Amino acid sequence: MDEIIKITFDILSFSCIMVLIVSGLAIIASLMGIFNFAHGEFVLLGAYTTYLFQEAGLPVWAGMLVAPFVVGAFGLFLEATIIRRFYNAAIVAMLATYAIGLIVREIVRPLIGGRFWRVTEPIPGLFEIGDMSFSIWRGVIIILTIIIMTGCYLFLAKTNYGLKIRGAMENPALARASGISTTKLYSFTFAFGAALAGLAGALMVPLYLLFADLGLRFLVMAFLSVMLGGVGTFEGPVLGSALIGALVPGFQWLRELPIIVDILSPIFSEVLVFITAIIIVKFKPQGLIKRGRL
Amino acid sequence: MDNNQNRYRSNPSRRSFLLGSSALTAAGWIAAGTGTFVLKPNWAHADGHIKMGIATDITGAIGASGNTCWQVAQLAVSQINDAGGILGRPIELILEDTASDPGVAVGNVRRLIQKHEVDVVLGGITSAMREAIKNPITKRGKTLYLYPQLYEGQECTSHLYCTGPTPYQQCSELIPYLIKQGNKRFAMPSANYIWPQLLNKWTRRIIEENGGEVVLEEYFPLDQVEYSATVGKIKSEKVDHVFLTIIPPGLGPFGKQLFESGFQKEGGTVSCVYYDENSPFYVEPYALEDTYSCLDFFHSVNDPFSKQLVKDYNAMFKDTNYLLTAGTASTGMYRGIKLYEQGVIATNGDLAREAVSEALDNISVPEGPGGPYKTVPGTGHCAMNMYIAQNKGGDWNIISSANMVPPNECA
Amino acid sequence: MYKKRLPLVEAVLLVLLIVAPLFLNDFLTVIATRMLILALLAISFDLCWGYSGIMTFGQGLFFGMAGYAVALFANKLGFVQIWGVIPIGIFTGAVVSFLLAWLLLLGKKPPEIIFVALGTLTFSYAAERLVSGWYWVGGGNGMSIFDFLSLGSFEIEAGRLFYYIAAFILLIVYLMSRFLVRSQLGLVLAGTRQNEKRLAFLGYRVRTFKAIVFTFAGAIAGLGGALYAHHEGFIGPNNMGIGISTMAVLYALFGGAGTLVGPIVGVLAIESISFTLSGMDEFKSYWPVILGVILLVVVTFKPDGLLGFILSRRERIGTFGSEKNDDEPK
Repeated sequence: MDEIIKITFDILSFSCIMVLIVSGLAIIASLMGIFNFAHGEFVLLGAYTTYLFQEAGLPVWAGMLVAPFVVGAFGLFLEATIIRRFYNAAIVAMLATYAIGLIVREIVRPLIGGRFWRVTEPIPGLFEIGDMSFSIWRGVIIILTIIIMTGCYLFLAKTNYGLKIRGAMENPALARASGISTTKLYSFTFAFGAALAGLAGALMVPLYLLFADLGLRFLVMAFLSVMLGGVGTFEGPVLGSALIGALVPGFQWLRELPIIVDILSPIFSEVLVFITAIIIVKFKPQGLIKRGRL
Repeated sequence: MDNNQNRYRSNPSRRSFLLGSSALTAAGWIAAGTGTFVLKPNWAHADGHIKMGIATDITGAIGASGNTCWQVAQLAVSQINDAGGILGRPIELILEDTASDPGVAVGNVRRLIQKHEVDVVLGGITSAMREAIKNPITKRGKTLYLYPQLYEGQECTSHLYCTGPTPYQQCSELIPYLIKQGNKRFAMPSANYIWPQLLNKWTRRIIEENGGEVVLEEYFPLDQVEYSATVGKIKSEKVDHVFLTIIPPGLGPFGKQLFESGFQKEGGTVSCVYYDENSPFYVEPYALEDTYSCLDFFHSVNDPFSKQLVKDYNAMFKDTNYLLTAGTASTGMYRGIKLYEQGVIATNGDLAREAVSEALDNISVPEGPGGPYKTVPGTGHCAMNMYIAQNKGGDWNIISSANMVPPNECA
Repeated sequence: MYKKRLPLVEAVLLVLLIVAPLFLNDFLTVIATRMLILALLAISFDLCWGYSGIMTFGQGLFFGMAGYAVALFANKLGFVQIWGVIPIGIFTGAVVSFLLAWLLLLGKKPPEIIFVALGTLTFSYAAERLVSGWYWVGGGNGMSIFDFLSLGSFEIEAGRLFYYIAAFILLIVYLMSRFLVRSQLGLVLAGTRQNEKRLAFLGYRVRTFKAIVFTFAGAIAGLGGALYAHHEGFIGPNNMGIGISTMAVLYALFGGAGTLVGPIVGVLAIESISFTLSGMDEFKSYWPVILGVILLVVVTFKPDGLLGFILSRRERIGTFGSEKNDDEPK
């Protein structure tokens, strides 16, 4: 029983991290059809901001508060200058965002000396239930993710602005014809997606290390999550990322079973997640949740 | 060691960048057209300079170690040149950046050999880099190559000399010590590449020979982020000691998750044989506390030559962020350069590869970082002193040492 | 009336190709040979994207797998004969790309471009990670190839001879590709670019044609990979993954996609700049940033690439970009 609780907690915490990372990507992909190859770098920038606060002697949680605004502003800037040229050409947009990602990543790399740096979590340590101990910070991430996702859902489902966004996600042309200003909508959404990514980076960097390829680490998984969940909705990719987030540690736990441990190395189990995801997408090209209603 | 702690707080980034361009020119390096940097001695000899090529990672992920190697190389060569060179001939240092990218390195190393026609190449840090450049250097380039980093052994290519510790040297003292401390059940979580795989073979053998038991040996991708299953197993299998060979970035989450499971709280211990004075940068203090390491050199080694070497290094490179440590291959780099010096003296100035290589096969050097060292004939490796240290509050305290441990390779 | 400039560009490049080694020293000839081999990779991408509208981030996969295949033959079996190495490269590239085409391109419904792009990206990424964890193929270290590429007992070292062999192969590949895209098959592809649905309604099995081109391109990439491994004497995971796959995209786009010479020009330009800049210390750390800026500028302002300055629109056989096709309903 203890084991199961521990496994669930670990799987849940990683799923939450994936959900945080992917939600920003999902909003941008669903709304504008653009797979933002620079999304990983938004995550990186959020993590880097937090690190800078730590190095400047300021509290880490302050860095985490500031990070989404910094990255959101950067997203706003990018959208206004570059991204908006590509709304009609999704593929070229991908390439442009790849270039942006490359630029950001390779600027950050020498700035952090090409090395790995630790960022200490604002609330380090463990909390205990019975004789099981759990990381406090992972618990915080789970709670924060639930709050943030609920907030996003409520925003999209219950507010006027959220309604406009959903409308534009389902049918951009009709939305425009109905008088919704898509330009401002797109700007806001791109910035919002970037801010979410920045927040994800800030929150999760204490669990790992800060390094220039941090964003790349999650990029392919993030794309797969969106494809798996289905472009066009908000809850689709959230579901997709939760699923992938569960599979990655899940497959590792599968290795506890005696027969599996011989055939499934940690390397191969990771690759297996990708292959599984691609095969599912092949058979369900619209994703798990089709373009639909909230 | 308050100074060290302050150093860890300072901003590394701008410094390392500055050390790039302007410092190179300030230190007398001349940009030699396409790519290389040349440090010419300021006196000449009838027979010309001895050309020493350094192929190391100045940029990229391994840049920190690469820059340290390069700085140590400058120190060693300036010491030699100040004392009159090798048999009166000065050494000209030529640097190529292998950029932590084996694909790029192959081309740059070719430049060292074909364009600059160096007499010897020292460098490579990761095994991947060594594998990539050893062929262009020794076979296609027909040049002598010295490899300075601690590694997994089994490198027996001719005209390739290794001046860093081997698995046997790192484990043969450490493991019996750990077992004597009462550790019987070992776990070996590892990064999935050749160094941990071959190192673990040795470690397992020595553990079992000394009455211990390996209950877990797993290999992870370098950037694995979730270790909950493995950490859970370590706890449930009642492991006494974790012999860690995971490297960054996977190291961060593993260290944290291991600590969070309560492993250290319940008396478990950890060792990691690449941890050195740089580790506080990328390991949390609570994960670093009480870990063991076994290397050929620590700053706390009580050897006058070593202490003077560190002083000279810090004097030549004031405020550098690149500390002279054993984990960065810089001790091996120093050894390699001095070894080459002795080799050329032994051949009486003959720089032909075969001649120097033959001389190198049997040379003893009385002083080096960590103590004396010598090449073991027929093996291409060096015997050297090894030190077991434990980390307390960020500092490495030497708890045990062994003199002239044999490399036990290519026998 | 527009001027036909493409043949002129082709002629200039051909002359350069033949004459270059006479002016370059040994070291630079080796660098040039490497560029020629990479040109194969770039052409393979152009065939997919510029001509068939398949955005692939996976050409590196075929390139790298072929490289590993010949490395294994060299190291485990001692086989380095050129008359075998070339077919091995082509075969490996063709088989892997065919499998990928089967998985991604064929099926009941036509796949979305994004799916193919992400699919190729994923497989390239997965292969890189698999290979870096697999001890037998050298793991993260990759594999050094000690023996030289040979014909009988004659060793072909990197240098002038290798250059001319690579040049010859590049020429053959170029002519074959040129023939392909101007053939009936090429016409079908041209139609696909204009309006895929219409062509499908006309009865053409569009997806089959795309798969054929994808496999052909994969074979070329494989050939490039085999030559690359022997030329450099080394193959590693980063010759297989996203990095090199994206370089293929960069080469083709920078030079000019949809022209076949564009990728060659792109490789020459980018690799020459890279080589020069890697010399200058001020730029060494920031070269990737400059590369990113170049790509961004090209994609945003000059999607036609370098050749867009010389060739008119009519000569460019393929464009996918922010240009809207007039008869394309949206």
